[in-house]
Amino acid sequence: MAGLYDALTTTDHKRIGRYWLRSGLLLLIGAVVLGVLLGIEGTDAESTDLFGGDNAYFQMWALYRIGLALLVAAPLLVGLATVVVPMQVGSTNIAFPRAALAAVWGFMLGAGITVVAVLAGGGFGAVDRVTNAERDAIALTLVGLGFVIVSLLLASLCLATTVISLRVKGMTLLRTPLFAWSILVTCSVWLLTLPVLLANLLIAYVDLHNGPGTFGGDASGSLAIYGQIAWVVEQPQVYAFAIPVLGILGSIVPVTAGVRAARHGLSAGLIGLFGLLAFGAWSQPYFQNDGAIPHDEKFLFIAFGLAALLPVLGAMGGAGDTLRRGGDAIVGLPAAHLVGALGGGILLLLGVVAGALRVIEPLELGGSTDQVEGIGTLAVSGVASLVLLAAIVAAVGGFWFWAAKIGGHELPPMLGRLALLDLIGGAVLLGGAQVVSGFFDTVNHPLAVPTEDIADTLAIVSLIGAVLIGLGALGVVAAIAKAVRTGATATDDPWGGHTLEWATVDGAFAEPPALVTSESPLLDDEGEDA
Amino acid sequence: MFTTGFKFFFGIGVGLVTAAMLYGYTSGGNWTGPISLGWKEGVGEHVGYGLLVLLGVVAMAIACTLIFFRDADPADQADYMGVDDIEPTQPVTASFWPVVGAFGAATMAIGLVLNTAVFITGLVIVGAVAIEWMMDAWADRASGDPEANRALRNRIMAPIEIPAAGAAVIAVIVLLASRILLNASKNGAVLIAGVLAVVILGIGFLAASDKKINRNLVAGLSVVLGVAILGGGVWATVDGEREFDEHEPHGEDGSTEVDHGEDG
Repeated sequence: MAGLYDALTTTDHKRIGRYWLRSGLLLLIGAVVLGVLLGIEGTDAESTDLFGGDNAYFQMWALYRIGLALLVAAPLLVGLATVVVPMQVGSTNIAFPRAALAAVWGFMLGAGITVVAVLAGGGFGAVDRVTNAERDAIALTLVGLGFVIVSLLLASLCLATTVISLRVKGMTLLRTPLFAWSILVTCSVWLLTLPVLLANLLIAYVDLHNGPGTFGGDASGSLAIYGQIAWVVEQPQVYAFAIPVLGILGSIVPVTAGVRAARHGLSAGLIGLFGLLAFGAWSQPYFQNDGAIPHDEKFLFIAFGLAALLPVLGAMGGAGDTLRRGGDAIVGLPAAHLVGALGGGILLLLGVVAGALRVIEPLELGGSTDQVEGIGTLAVSGVASLVLLAAIVAAVGGFWFWAAKIGGHELPPMLGRLALLDLIGGAVLLGGAQVVSGFFDTVNHPLAVPTEDIADTLAIVSLIGAVLIGLGALGVVAAIAKAVRTGATATDDPWGGHTLEWATVDGAFAEPPALVTSESPLLDDEGEDA
Repeated sequence: MFTTGFKFFFGIGVGLVTAAMLYGYTSGGNWTGPISLGWKEGVGEHVGYGLLVLLGVVAMAIACTLIFFRDADPADQADYMGVDDIEPTQPVTASFWPVVGAFGAATMAIGLVLNTAVFITGLVIVGAVAIEWMMDAWADRASGDPEANRALRNRIMAPIEIPAAGAAVIAVIVLLASRILLNASKNGAVLIAGVLAVVILGIGFLAASDKKINRNLVAGLSVVLGVAILGGGVWATVDGEREFDEHEPHGEDGSTEVDHGEDG
C-alpha cells in the first residue's frame, strides 16, 4: 500500500522519468507491431485486408505516423531528460516536480484515450465522408491527442525551466552539458510550435461538429483532419523530435573517447541552429492551397531543407574528430551506448540528406505526377521514418549510457549492441525504401496504387525493415527485463563520465557540487586537460 | 553584456522574422507588405507569414526576459540578492493532486465528447485540484520545517476537506445504493435496504462502543462494504432499473397513479 502511495504521489524526477520511459517503451512495442502489420498490408494492399476495410487501414496508417513522433519518440526523450537533465545541471530535482508528475499521468491517459478511440473506429478523418457513427470516436481521438500535446508542453516547461534556472553555481548556459542544452533547444521549439498543432486540432474538432469545410477544408471529408496535422511529422517540424540526438551524441562520444570535445561552444551553436531550422509550424499545407505554388516548392521550405544539413554534418564531424583524438581509448567492440549514439547520428544524417534531396527541384525527386500534387510522395514518410527512428535509436543508446542513473541497473552490453544494430538496420531499410519509392513517385497515401513496378519490391524491403525494428525493440525490452530480473547493480560512474550526473551517489548528490569552471567539471577535478 | 540565453532566443527571433520576410516575398507579397506587417499591401501567404512573425516575436520576448534575469545564473542571482550563495531548491512534498488532476482533465476530455454530466464532473475535480494544489504550494514555502508546514496547511484546509469529502462519499453511496434498490425486485429491495441498515448500525455501534476494537477490522469491513456498494451500483446502473408499470391518468384532475411494484 505504501508502495502504491509513493508511486502515485512521488515528486522524485528519476521516478517520474521512469514512468515516461516505461510508457514510451510500451507504446514503442505497440508501434512496431502496427508497423509490421502495415508493412504486410503495404506489400499487397489490393488482396490483403488485415484491418477490415480501407478506412481502418487509413486510420492505422495515420496513427502510426503521428504516434511514432508524439507517442513514442517524444516520451522516450522526455523520460531520459527528466532523469538526466536535473543531475547534469547540478540540481537536486526537476523544476515544478508536481507539474512534471501531472504531465506524465496526463500523457498516459491522453495516449490511452487516443489509441482506444482509433481502435473504436475513430482516427484522423475518413477516406470517405465521416459518418455519424464515426464522429464521436474521431472527436475522442482529437481530444486524446490534444491531451497528449498539453502534457508534452507541461513537461517541456518543467525541463526548460530546470536548465534555465536550476543550474549550479558557475555553470553558465554556455557551459551546460550538450544533452541538457539540446533539451532546452528541443523544449523551446516544442513550446513555440506544438500549441499551433493544438489549435489545428481545435479547428478540426469544430470542423467535425459543424460540417467539413467550416475552415475551408476538403469538403469531401477525406483526409481533412490528417491533412491539417500532418505537418508535425513532415519537414521541417519532424526534425524537432530529433534535436536531442545531437545532444546525446555530444554527451556520449567524448566520454567514450576519454577526451574533451574540441569546441563545446560550436557544438551548442550547431544544436541551436538545428533547432531554428526545425521550426515548421508555418508549413501547414492545409492552409496553403493558394493554387499558385505548392508549399514544398516555396523558397523558405527549400532553404530550410538544405540548411538543415549543416548542423547535422557539423555535429557528426565533431563526433568524428573527438573519436579520432581519443581513438586509443576504444578497445574491442564498441560499447552499446556508442553504437546507439553514432547510429542515431547516422540515421539523422540520412534523414536530412533525403530531405535535402527532396527539395532540390531540378532533381524532381519530390514528385512529378498529378497524383502527387497536394499529398506528396512516400519520400515524405521516408524522411520522417529515418528522423524519428534516429531519435528512438539515440534514446535507446542513452538508456545504456545513463542506465546507472535511470534504474541503478547495468544493462547487458551484447544484447544492447544486437538490439541497436537491429534497430539501425531496420530503420535504414524501412526509411530508405520509403525514400527511394517516393523518388519513383509513389504517393504518400496507403491506398494509392504505385506507378512503378519497383515500388512492390521496395514495399517488401520496407516490411523486412519493420520486422528488424520489431526484433530490435523486443531486444531492448528483453535486455531491460533481464537486468531488472538479475539485479545487476551498476556503479555510480561506470564510464568515467565528464559531467555532474556522474558525481551523484544512488542518484543524489552526496555533497553540493563545487563551483563549475568548464563544461566538463569532473575532468577539472582530475586536472586533466586533454 | 548579452547572455547566452538572450543570444540563443534573440537569434531564433531574428531568424524567424527574417524567414517571415523571405516567405512573404516569395509567396506573392508586395514590396511594402511583408516589412510593414501587412499595413501597406499584401504579405503573401498570410498563415505561414503570420505564424513566423508571431513565433519570432515570442522568441524575442523570451530573450528579453532571460537577459533581465541574467539567464538565472546562480552567481548573478546571489550577487543581486547580496548573499554568498542562493538557497538550494526547496524539497517539494509528495502529493496526490497531480494524479487526481490528470484524471480530472481526462474525465473532462471524455465528457466533452460523450456526456455533459461527465464533463461537469471532470470540471469540478479539476477545480478542486486547482485549489488544493495552490494551498499545498503555499504551505510548502511557509517555513523551513516540513512538519510545521503540513500542520499549517491542515489547519486551514481540513475544516473544508473533511465535510466536503464526507458529503461527496455520502452522495456517491446514496446514488449507488439507489441504483441497487431500483434494480432489485420489490421484496429484494426491502431486504437489501434492511441488511444495509443493520450493517451500518452495527459498524456504528462497534465504533461508538467503549471496547477497544481492532481498527483493521473496521477498516476491512468498510472496504468490503464500499466495494460491494460500488460494484453493485455500477452493475445495477449498467443493467438498468426493473420494470415499472405506469397507469394511464384517471380522475378528474388528470393525476397519474404509478405502481412501483414489479408485478403491477
